[in-house]
Formats: sequence, C-alpha cells, structure tokens
Amino acid sequence: MQEEVINLKNEALAQIMEVSSSEELENIRVIYLGRSGKFTSLIKRIKEVSPDKRKQAGMLINEAKNTIVKALASQKNHLKESARVWFDPTVPGIEPSAGHLHLVTQAIEEISTLFAQLGFVRNRYPEVEWDWYAFETLNMPEGHPARDEWETFFVDTPTNPKFGQMVLTPHTSSAQVREMQRVKSPPVRMINIAKCYRRQIDTSHVPMFHQFEGLVIDKGISIANLKGTLDYFARNFFGPERKTRLRPFHFQFTEPSFEVDVTCGVCLGAGCKLCKSGWLELGGAGMVHPKVLASGGIDPRKYSGYAFGWGVERTYMMKSGLKIPDIRLLYGSDLRFLRQF
Amino acid sequence: MNITISDNWLRDYLKTNASPNKIAEALSLSGPSVEKITKLKDDSLYSIEVTTNRVDCMAVYGIAREASAALPAHNVKGSLVPLKSKSRQRFAKTVNYLKAEVDATLCPRFTAVLIKGVKISASPEWMSHRLQNVGVRPINNVVDISNYIMKELGQPVHTFDYDKILKGKMLLRASRKGEVITTLDDKKHALRGGDIVIEDGKGRLIDLAGIMGGALSAIDDNTKNVLLFVQTYNPVNIRRTTMSLAHRTEASDIFEKGTDPELISLAIRRGIDLFESLTGGKAEETVLDIYPNPPQAKSIALDLDFISAFLGVVLPKLQISKALTSLGFEASWRGKSLSVRVPSWRLKDIQIKEDIIEEIARIWGYQKLPGIIMQGALPEPLADSPFSFEIKVKNVLRGFAGIEIYTLSLVAESEAGQGALQLANPLGEDSSFLRTSLMPSLSRTAGENAGMKEAFHLFEVSNVYLPRKGDLPQEKMMLAGIFANTPYRQAKGVIEALARELNVPLDFVPEDSRYFQPSQRLMLKSSNKLLGQFGVLETGKIYYEFDMVLLKLSILPKKYKEIPSHPAQIEDITLVLPAKSRVGDVIEAIKSTSSLITEVALGTIYNDAYTFRIHYQHPEKTLTDSDIEKIRGNILKNLKTQFGAVTK
Repeated sequence: MQEEVINLKNEALAQIMEVSSSEELENIRVIYLGRSGKFTSLIKRIKEVSPDKRKQAGMLINEAKNTIVKALASQKNHLKESARVWFDPTVPGIEPSAGHLHLVTQAIEEISTLFAQLGFVRNRYPEVEWDWYAFETLNMPEGHPARDEWETFFVDTPTNPKFGQMVLTPHTSSAQVREMQRVKSPPVRMINIAKCYRRQIDTSHVPMFHQFEGLVIDKGISIANLKGTLDYFARNFFGPERKTRLRPFHFQFTEPSFEVDVTCGVCLGAGCKLCKSGWLELGGAGMVHPKVLASGGIDPRKYSGYAFGWGVERTYMMKSGLKIPDIRLLYGSDLRFLRQF
Repeated sequence: MNITISDNWLRDYLKTNASPNKIAEALSLSGPSVEKITKLKDDSLYSIEVTTNRVDCMAVYGIAREASAALPAHNVKGSLVPLKSKSRQRFAKTVNYLKAEVDATLCPRFTAVLIKGVKISASPEWMSHRLQNVGVRPINNVVDISNYIMKELGQPVHTFDYDKILKGKMLLRASRKGEVITTLDDKKHALRGGDIVIEDGKGRLIDLAGIMGGALSAIDDNTKNVLLFVQTYNPVNIRRTTMSLAHRTEASDIFEKGTDPELISLAIRRGIDLFESLTGGKAEETVLDIYPNPPQAKSIALDLDFISAFLGVVLPKLQISKALTSLGFEASWRGKSLSVRVPSWRLKDIQIKEDIIEEIARIWGYQKLPGIIMQGALPEPLADSPFSFEIKVKNVLRGFAGIEIYTLSLVAESEAGQGALQLANPLGEDSSFLRTSLMPSLSRTAGENAGMKEAFHLFEVSNVYLPRKGDLPQEKMMLAGIFANTPYRQAKGVIEALARELNVPLDFVPEDSRYFQPSQRLMLKSSNKLLGQFGVLETGKIYYEFDMVLLKLSILPKKYKEIPSHPAQIEDITLVLPAKSRVGDVIEAIKSTSSLITEVALGTIYNDAYTFRIHYQHPEKTLTDSDIEKIRGNILKNLKTQFGAVTK
C-alpha cells in the first residue's frame, strides 16, 4: 500500500502544478480528498494491511493528504487575480450595536479600583444630609464664614432640633463622621464617591457633580502617609512619572490643610505653555481635625488621620486630557456627545 | 478671598532681593497662595488667595511678614522691616473731646483720636497711585488715608466729621429691631436688631459699625476736625448684619473674621502720622482707648516625638525654633518639650498642637516631606456592598446597546412627583425639587433627542428621594431606562435578557398604571415581590425601572444542571389564535402541559398565526415519536379549550 500512497500523492501534486483556475483546483480536491475521493477509498482499504503495519500506513496517508492540502492552498495563492474566485475583503464589517458607559461611571470605576488596592472600603452615605454632618461636626458651627465657600442648597423642611437644617451634601466630607460612627474604632480606610450639590452653574460648574473622598484613621497616621497615598494615586492614575506636592491651605475640618498639585503631564514639573508653573491643582486634603475625630467618637489623643476630597469630573478630565469645553455637556442629553465615550 | 498686593508697597516692609516671581513661589508653597502676578509699568500686582483663618494676611504688612518667613525655605534672604511711627500720643480710658459709652461684648477695643485743623484736598501722587493700582478710587486725603491704612495693615479705619457728632458723645450699642440708618452711600437700612450701631448725644444713629459709616456724620469738603476711629468688633454680629442686610464692604469682610485688637495701636499711630503729614491737621495728645479685657497671652505645649510622629519625619529642634520665630512665635525648649507663645495676630487662628505643626512644616518646607504609604490593619469589607452589582447591571445594559446617562436630580415641580422635597434656595424653577422618580427626566432626555431616527436606549442608575416625616428622605437606588424608535418585543427582550444574565426569575404581570398606555404596562415581579415596571408610555416611548436593592435580592445562585444525555426533540407548531389572545398566557399553558416540555419559544407571528418552537426532553431517554404525539395531543386539546386555538 505504501507505494500506492506515494504514487497517488505524486499524481495529485503533478496535476495541481498544472492548473490555471480555481475551479480546476476544486475539481482536484474533490477527486483526491472528497467524500468518495481516491484517498478516502484508500483509507477504507486500510483493513487489508497487516495489523503491525497499519499504524504506519495510516500516518503515511495523513501525511500525503496534508501535503496535497498545502499544495492546493499554495497553488491557489499563485493563481492570477483573474483566475481566482472573486472575494472583496474591503467590504466594511457589520458592527454589533454597542452601548456606552457614562464618563463619570468610567472615572468612578477607575478611582474605586485604585483605592481598593490600598484597602479602602467604599460605602454610600446620604446625599440629602443634615447640616450636622455637612458642617457642624466638621468644625464649622452655624454662622462660620468658612461655610460661604460651599454655596449650599437647603431643603425647605422644618429644622431638626439636634441635626439642624436639611441640606444637599455640598461635599463628600459629610461622610467622615458617619463613617467613624459606623466603624466605631479604627482602622478606618474609607473611599466615598458620591453626588454633591452646589449652587453654581457655568461652563466649569454644574449644580450636581461628583467628588471622591478618602479618609484614613489609625494610630500614628502622619502627613507623610498622606503624601505617600497621594503619590501612589498620582503614579497609578496619571502615570508612573507623575508626582504630587502639598501647599498650605485652610479647611475648618483638617489641621493642617493642604492644596494638592500634581506635576503637569507634558513637562513633568518643569513648566510649559500648557501649565505655566509645571503643576496642576488637584484639590484639597489635610490631617483630620481632632474636633472632627471627637465628633465621630474617636479619641484624638490615640488616633490621627488624613482626608482628601476632590472632584471626579475635574480629576478625570485632567487625566484623559479631554478638553470638554463645557462641563454641562456631561449632564446633558445629547447622544452625539454621550456616544463619543 | 482674593486680595491684591502691590510689589512696591510690599517692599516698604520686606527687605529682599527676590524677584516678584520668586516671592510668589515662596508664598504659594509656604503661605497664602499667589494665583496671578500682573506686571504694570512701574509695579507688579500679586493676586493672593487668603483663607478665612488668616485675617492677618489681608494686607501688605501681613504678607510681608509671611514672605519674610517663607523666602528662606526657598533659599532667598528676606526680612521684615517693622513699621515705625513718629506718634508719641498717650492712650487713656477717658479724653476731654469725646464721651463714649461702649458695650465691650460688641466692641472689645474702642479707640479714637481727634485731629483738628484738617484741610481736605487731594492725596499726594504716591498715595493715590498706589491705591489706584490695587483697585481703590482715590477721593480726598481723609478718605484715602483710611483706605491706605486698611490696605497696608488690614485694619479697617473710619473717620467722622467731629463737628457732626452732637454733644461730643457716642453710645455704641446693639441696634433695636426696626431702627433705620442711612449709610454713606445714601442707602437706607432697616435694622433687624443686634447690629452694632453708634448713636450721638442726640440719639441719632451715626454709624453702622464695622460695615459703613452713617451719612449724618460723613466727611465733606468743609470738614475741619476729624475723629479718627479704630475698633475691633465682635465678628459674629458683623457677619449677621452683612448677611441680613445683604450689604458687604471690604471693612466687614475683614471684621467678620475677627481682627487683632493689638493691631489697633499701630494702626491709629500710623493714622496720626499720615493725617499730620498729609492734611495739615494736628492730633490731640491723648488717644481714647477703651480696652477693658485685653486677650490673654497663649502658649501651646507639645513635644518633639509628637511632632515627628505627626509629620512622619524627624526635624532638628533648631529648625523647628527657626521656623516658628520667623513667623513671630516664641519657641522655648526644655529637653524634648516645646512651649510656643502665640503672637497676638494669630491668637484666634492658633488653637491646638496641630496648628503649631502646620507652621513648622510649611516654613521648613512641605516639599521635603517623604511619601510613605501607611502600614497597619485593613478595615473589614462592607458586608453587602452594592457597587459591583451596579456596575454589572450597567455593563450588561451597555452590551445590549444601552447608553448610560446622568441627569440632574433637581427637577421642576411638574416632574418631581407628589410630596417631593422642595429646595429653600433653588437656582431656578426648573431645578427646585428633589425627584421621586426617574421617569420624567428620562422621558425629557429621550424627547430632547427626537431628531434621532434610529433606535436608541438610554438608561440611568440613580437615587430618587422619597420624603419621610421628620427624617432625611429615603434614598432609593433606581435603574430606569427608555427606548425610542424600538419595537416592543425588542425592548422587552432587553429586560428579559438582563434578568437572565443576572439570574433573576422575572414575571411580567399586566396591570394598568398612570403615564402608560392602557393595557400596555407590566409589573416586573420576582417571587411575588414587585421589582419594577415596564411598558409603553403615553408618548409612545418604552420605559422601564427597577428598584436596584430588590433586583439584587432576587438574584438566584447559579446551579449546575445535569447535561441531558439524550438529545431533545424540537418541533415547531403553528397555531391560529383568536383575536385578543395573550400569547404569554398561551406559552405558559403549553409549558404546563407536561414536565417533559423544557422550553417554549415564540418564533414568527404572521397575521393571526403564531409559530411556537417546543423542546421535548426526557432526562433519561430519547422520546419516541409516539411519546411526543401524546404530549402534542394534550397541548392542542388544552389550547383549544382554553383559548380556542386551532392548528393551521
């Protein structure tokens, strides 16, 4: 049988070399490899071979078939364009219709994933909140001028004797004392990403926006720990070469308080046309004020902590380099905008 | 708050070779933030953001002090040139030219001095030019001197025409409700009570103290004798008045933050110098000074270990002392213990140990701090965190071509729903209520895209706010979506697929409801719990919503099902259903005919002919044609009696 196989293979290869059209090639394929082709009938006769040689014969047949398949394919490629079966590979694909996640959702996912790596626990807190949590326990008693910065919306309901007025949370910091009360004793590593509301509207402000707030409380938490966390965030969120810096600032609920800057992605801090100073402003941070710890039932003599709270939209714009000229587009309904992301 | 400081003026009190850019950098990194430098022909202007706690930095002198401390940390020499005055006036509790009765809770320090023989004229060029540069319109020498002192020292100063204070008497008291005063700008204010006012010997209100002087005692071109008036006021009263009258001035912006009473001595002496040199006036020998309770000196104790632990780095004691001293603090060490005496201008602001550490660290230089991620135990994860479920739902819908939107939770009354919470201070009527349903927002959003001719599906996951009596509203996380230009079966298929993907067994129960077309709305139920609704709105768009918490609770754990060893028999049956048959019920009826029917799906609908694809399957054997014939017979019999269905 061995001889027979080799002869058949050579015969097929010789014919393949001769062809000049794809139809002829197909004919050859049918004659040798088709359902009732010559090789198929050979295989059917393999029982005639003595059992000890059957395996070898089978391998030989397979090898011969493979050689023919390759020869067919290679010959197809050598045919002239006009001799081939016509196929137009430039026809556009039909895409499955796909949807879109909102930019804010994409940003929140990235941010929460990043902080989860450092053991931060994400939770949700009231978006309609008492003045008590939004200001009072954050060391901003009623009438304090610092409150002016927040442009707060008030809800038209009776004042609660203990918790004061009902407000729309103007910042994610309202969650600080709530989280301390929930956890009761440190360690606290909170990440709160939530809607916030302020009375402002222009191309860079919307009355509803999102902030993310980190809060860490434990024994011996230092400013260096805050700096370390901010740097970790900057490297992972913005890129491995990015750095942060702290500048003095003032918030009633942190002491000391900082403004946090990150190096510009273009010049990495050297200063360029885009950023001028080499640095871009990220947002506020600070060491949790002892009064705030005490409000949350945590002994400030034993524990210290840090907190930071920044705008999600703004931070994400800075990362992605998306120059969206009007932030109101994010909360609008224009599909031509929403479909871009 | 942003203030403007002139570089020329600053250098009266700051000795340094540093360029304006260098000064700005040092200040920004170690003190108040310089947001902009504007170069003028002969000067540079710094625009500086001063935080509410640093009222001492609201003027040239305070900024000079900060800069003199900040520059050395950035490797440039800088020192404060103290303001010196020629005035040698005495300070006394009584004077012969003014009888004053003062409520010390409203006015902790009250000073005044009479300056006689003042000639009103224009200020000299250097003064009016500086004022103009920092945005103050020069008026005449008397008014300009007041403004100059405020811009230089951060102490608001007032001047009265002495001869208009009847009987040379003043009573500083809280206003009574309904009293009316006309201020310098000719505005009439009806007072709420509790405002700080001054009445003269005839009981006329001549000053709305700390905010603006009264018209009755105003300086005019004929003024000869000026009462120079420098006070500290209770910041709470000042703030209340500015809020209730909605009337702010530069003076009130400073007073409401609580000024340093010790600064007054310097300010009134500076005033006397300027009046004597610029107006030809002559100050009386004695300054009236009513100052019953000067603030106590304050020291704060802390130790080196606490400082090191809080910073996360160890600083040499010498560095610590140097930083504090440069800001006017006095630092003394005993071993590792540090005692810090707070200067008068920082008494209000510096309260606790952490405040001292801030002063040390910012002057030493935050840029030198290392970054070290905290060690220590991790907190327990949240038992029932909703976030991974929410993003899963969003991703599933996105896979089904849903487009996620975020719409404003604040809506017009017409979109808010019954009993919705209302804002006390909305930005506008169309955003004055907290929504209790996402339906109006989504309908509106879909409507705004009416120009789109192709199908689209918008969805949002967001809280609605359901009022509760005497408590915060319930914040209910909802998923809602809307389909436009989409056939009913396709829209419903998305909801079915979502439920299947989440492994939530979902029942669709028809029941009419508001906003939906009659007979075109379904309740979405699982184990008899209402999860949400689905249907065709009156506008023709298709809307659905789910309570996210209930949806999550309805998820069944995925279970392994034995893979059948024998193939299912599949056949299509086409039935003619009478008009007004509900095909959902027909499918249920087919399914319930036999436990061997494992799947029933609706294929095509052609006029009144419905084709169903039915899977027959026995767990242990292959069903024979005669087995199936028997089941099919039962199906057809049931459908005929229940629905009047006949085979085509």
